[in-house]
Amino acid sequence: MAIHLNLLHEEILEQRQRQRDPLKIGVMVLAGFGALLFLYYMFNAYRTLEIKRRLSAVERNWAKVEPQVTAAQKRVAELEGVIKTTRALDDYMENRFFWAPFLEKISRCVAFNSQITSIDGTVLDENKGISVMIEGVSAGHEPRAAAEELRQLLSEQLRQSYSEVKVEFKTLEDLDTIVTVVGSNMPMARFVLGVTFNQGSATAKPSPAPERKRSAKS
Amino acid sequence: MKTVKLTQDQIKKVAFSVIGFVVLVYVYFTFFLGPLNKSRQRMLASMHDKQDKLERSKGDLSKMAKLEIEAKSATSHFAAFKALNPGGAPIAWFPPRIKTFFANEQIDKAVARLGNSISPKEPELADWMKYSWLISLPEADYATLGKAIADLENTEPLLVIEKITIHARPDQPGIQQVEIAVTNVIQKK
Repeated sequence: MAIHLNLLHEEILEQRQRQRDPLKIGVMVLAGFGALLFLYYMFNAYRTLEIKRRLSAVERNWAKVEPQVTAAQKRVAELEGVIKTTRALDDYMENRFFWAPFLEKISRCVAFNSQITSIDGTVLDENKGISVMIEGVSAGHEPRAAAEELRQLLSEQLRQSYSEVKVEFKTLEDLDTIVTVVGSNMPMARFVLGVTFNQGSATAKPSPAPERKRSAKS
Repeated sequence: MKTVKLTQDQIKKVAFSVIGFVVLVYVYFTFFLGPLNKSRQRMLASMHDKQDKLERSKGDLSKMAKLEIEAKSATSHFAAFKALNPGGAPIAWFPPRIKTFFANEQIDKAVARLGNSISPKEPELADWMKYSWLISLPEADYATLGKAIADLENTEPLLVIEKITIHARPDQPGIQQVEIAVTNVIQKK
């Protein structure tokens, strides 16, 4: 066996110690890890730049469209407002009660031996109905019968156009006055009729005015 | 198994290396990767928001086009309603208009007085006001009155007759005294 003399023993030991220096190894590991982190950072930065580019494109598109969209939204709001208002006004207009056809019906019911002296009509709140007080006088051999005839005729006429029609006497009294009707002296009766009804489904439409009111008072 | 024995100096160096590693990781995540990710998230959120807006804008534009067609009749109807009343205070023009109207219907001496004015309950009519008027007709023939009321109802679509009182005049049974309470809706100007 050959004898191996290591004359550089101390130098070799020093070199080995330098190579195993923990600080040096740590620095190398850190540098390697730092390089990996840098690469990962660059990858993320690239993705971010790509998103930024896409965002810029979207913003350019939006900037082009935005004035039109804002104007469109404003116009839509305006048109919706107009439609709603018009609808509300139409409802207001269509839910009106038309008095002319009602007055015409009354004029048709008054016979030659009756006279109406007063009409007080009111549209109840929220269009819940119409209430009318009709005051008048009737003359005839049976003045009360003449008044009743008027009541029945009025009730019949109103039922053709309105719903829930009620025509009832509030007052019906004989008067001492005698009037001359068609050359004959006849007793008179005074009446007050309470009339209530709803417009219902058969809404009265405006129509030509009454022809004339027949009067029999002499 | 061979155990590595570290000298005091080596332990110090290992400790320095570990501290360096921790500092590196902290600085990297806090000052580099964290802000970058946050910025990217913000940009993504902003991009999605803009893309949503763009999508919605297409809907808005088509909705507007559709609504323009649908609202054509409503718009002209609305313009007609607005044109019914002239500008200015209603007290200035409504009574003369009523007087002229009844004069044209052969009923003279018509007088319209303002009762009150209120805002309508309907929220759609926030720009409109309801005015109540009392119209007095001291002399009117029943047939003429009926025709006049029919014409009034036909020519004034936003006018509602709330109450009507007709009394025969004792001295002239053929002539009636009439009071009409009306309400009309007028746009605020």
